[in-house]
Amino acid sequence: MFFNSLSFAIFLPIVFLLYWFVFNKNKTTQNAVLIVASYYFYSCWDWRFLFLLVFSTLLDYFSAIMMEDSTSDKRRKLWLWLTIGINLGFLGVFKYYDFFAQSFADLLTGFGFQTNPVLLQLILPVGISFYTFHGLSYVIDIYYKRITAERNFIDYSLFVSYFPLLVAGPIERATHLLPQVKIKRHFNFEKAKEGIYQILWGLVKKVVIADSCATYANAVFDNYESMNSLSLALGAVYFAFQIYGDFSGYSDIALGTSKLFGIDLLKNFNYPYFSRDIAEFWRRWHISLSSWFRDYLYIPLGGSQGGIWMKVRNTFIIFLVSGFWHGANWTFIVWGFLNAMYFLPLLLQNKNRSNMGEIVMGWDFNSVKTILNILGTFILTTLAWIFFRARSISEALGYIQKMVTDFQFDSQYLSNERYNFELVFLVLVFVLVEWFNRSKIEPLSGKASWIKVTLAIIALLALGVYSDYKAFIYFQF
Amino acid sequence: MKQFLLFIGKIILVLLLSAIALDFIYTLVFAQSDTRNKVENVINSKPQKYDVIVLGTSRANNHFVSELFEKEGLKTFNYGMSGSHLFETSLLLKLMVERGWKIKNVIVETDLNLSNEKRDDGTFGRFMPFLHQSKTITEHFKNENDFTELYYIPFYRYIRFDAKVGFRAWYKTLINEPTNILHHKGYYPLGFNPKANMKNNIEGLVPLRNRYYEEIKQICKANDIHLIAVTTPMCANVKGMDYFKKVKALYPEIKEFEHVVEGDEYFSSCGHLNDKGARLFTATIIKALDFKNE
Repeated sequence: MFFNSLSFAIFLPIVFLLYWFVFNKNKTTQNAVLIVASYYFYSCWDWRFLFLLVFSTLLDYFSAIMMEDSTSDKRRKLWLWLTIGINLGFLGVFKYYDFFAQSFADLLTGFGFQTNPVLLQLILPVGISFYTFHGLSYVIDIYYKRITAERNFIDYSLFVSYFPLLVAGPIERATHLLPQVKIKRHFNFEKAKEGIYQILWGLVKKVVIADSCATYANAVFDNYESMNSLSLALGAVYFAFQIYGDFSGYSDIALGTSKLFGIDLLKNFNYPYFSRDIAEFWRRWHISLSSWFRDYLYIPLGGSQGGIWMKVRNTFIIFLVSGFWHGANWTFIVWGFLNAMYFLPLLLQNKNRSNMGEIVMGWDFNSVKTILNILGTFILTTLAWIFFRARSISEALGYIQKMVTDFQFDSQYLSNERYNFELVFLVLVFVLVEWFNRSKIEPLSGKASWIKVTLAIIALLALGVYSDYKAFIYFQF
Repeated sequence: MKQFLLFIGKIILVLLLSAIALDFIYTLVFAQSDTRNKVENVINSKPQKYDVIVLGTSRANNHFVSELFEKEGLKTFNYGMSGSHLFETSLLLKLMVERGWKIKNVIVETDLNLSNEKRDDGTFGRFMPFLHQSKTITEHFKNENDFTELYYIPFYRYIRFDAKVGFRAWYKTLINEPTNILHHKGYYPLGFNPKANMKNNIEGLVPLRNRYYEEIKQICKANDIHLIAVTTPMCANVKGMDYFKKVKALYPEIKEFEHVVEGDEYFSSCGHLNDKGARLFTATIIKALDFKNE
């Protein structure tokens, strides 16, 4: 059940009505209806993986209690590593086993050994990377005594399985979400209205921007050998907007949906393509994952406490792990490595926190510099996206090589029966709308909101891509 | 909560009004056009007179060179449509008759498409703007599973088939951007493709007693149109060529031309002749067939 499907458009109002009109008695009934809805929502993907979700919930719930009740540090540590091991074990089997087995076999073949690796070829349970990290953050917080273990199983189950964030995040923290599910929610019109605006804008990002860009990006990437420089450059830009519209659109719909139930989720995107350097980009892109890696990997590894080499090592570790988190393919690892390389000069010059404030524009030289920095960061990010999108490293290198050596800039008719440049205007309009609303959560609220809502609805109807449906990219992670 | 439900009501109202307005604007623009594709060219036409009309899929569109028919004094147009099925072919012929066209001969490509009675979404979509304007179209589509939604929900038909009648098609129709679809009197020549995969496997196909071919036969009979049903060439390396024998057994009146052009140099892909092959094929067809001339 996708957020942009007819089934979700039926599911959401039913859950909303049940939640506020039938099961609004207390927080337990509210939570119970959300759990049932969440399990139903998850079972629509594949009911067999419900067992995995229930197991993961039970494991983290009981191990957190055992950890808290343990008197010795040794036992607490044992519970922590046991839970981490099982959680990552599942992730490893489902997501990474085939990759390691195949890579090892390739390595042995390189040394002249005959190999025939046993591959499991399992279907990846949707959302497994998200809810595994979600649960891990909880048990690690318990271990470090940042929070106390949740003893109410219903409340804890909702924390893990809450449907708006279940399949593609944001990766929530117990400190943020659990306090909200432990109290009865009261309907708040302003919050619900904000939610609707956010859902609408998320749909525009997904259906109008991401899916339109996808048809062009696919046509270019799938035939990159016959494309000229202009098509290849535009293909990379279209993919940059596809993945942004797709994932931030999903996050907007998740956050908006959750607001309808009176629950706030963590902000996941903050106009990342307006970043002035790569460090700022990573503070604005997939914020819940970046901050997860910062808090549960970078800081425990020593963070920036040690010398410069320690900082460099830790930075590379989190970028490489972040790349690998996205998928079991060398392309993701190279993508992470490239981002670490982009980050390195800032780290060495101690400038990785120099662009923390809002972007202020005026008619001066600094503003020109800011725009150039934003463009430079976007170009670097887009180059890295080529590795993220390509099927193999050699394909990505071939793509880049053709793009910078072909020197043909004619319009080209693509396999999607469109000219390569046709989408540029739509992308530019989208960038301008986001630029002038960058201080807000979404551009629809505020002055003349009904006009903006009407325009968004017209854009959804007239410019949306419906016949060539594209699943959310991050569902595969 | 009441305030929120009112807010949602307003959003639904905006959605509905926008859909109605867009539906009206789109339909208005598409209803004026007759040059962007073959469907609207027929629907928005005045009565025509033709000696030969060619119908079928891309294997008609790329194989019958109208110009060669015309050299023989036969006024001809090729209305073959890439990707279409007999479902749409039959409808196109109904519309020609409904619009008062006087046609002496109809050549219908009846080979691989006999195995299918379903619609082709790509071609079906092109009829959508005219769903409410023609009883023939409404009748032809009324048994489709999604007919109710397409017919009654404003703008749904344009959303459902946005690749064919979406914003891009609408805009290009509005500015009257020319296409090459009607050039060469509907025939679309293909080039030689050195990378083409010159093999095919049609073992899975089974010819049906196709209700839309039966419809075409009835329409021709009722309107005194001479129907010529033919098969068209395939490349040499095809598995399952006995399909054509089954076609012949099912419909003895269908004339076999699947072997009249041989040699990969005449093909653009295994199922499609290039221009050189199409010219050879058309010349052979013209010689072999009897055309009604009165």
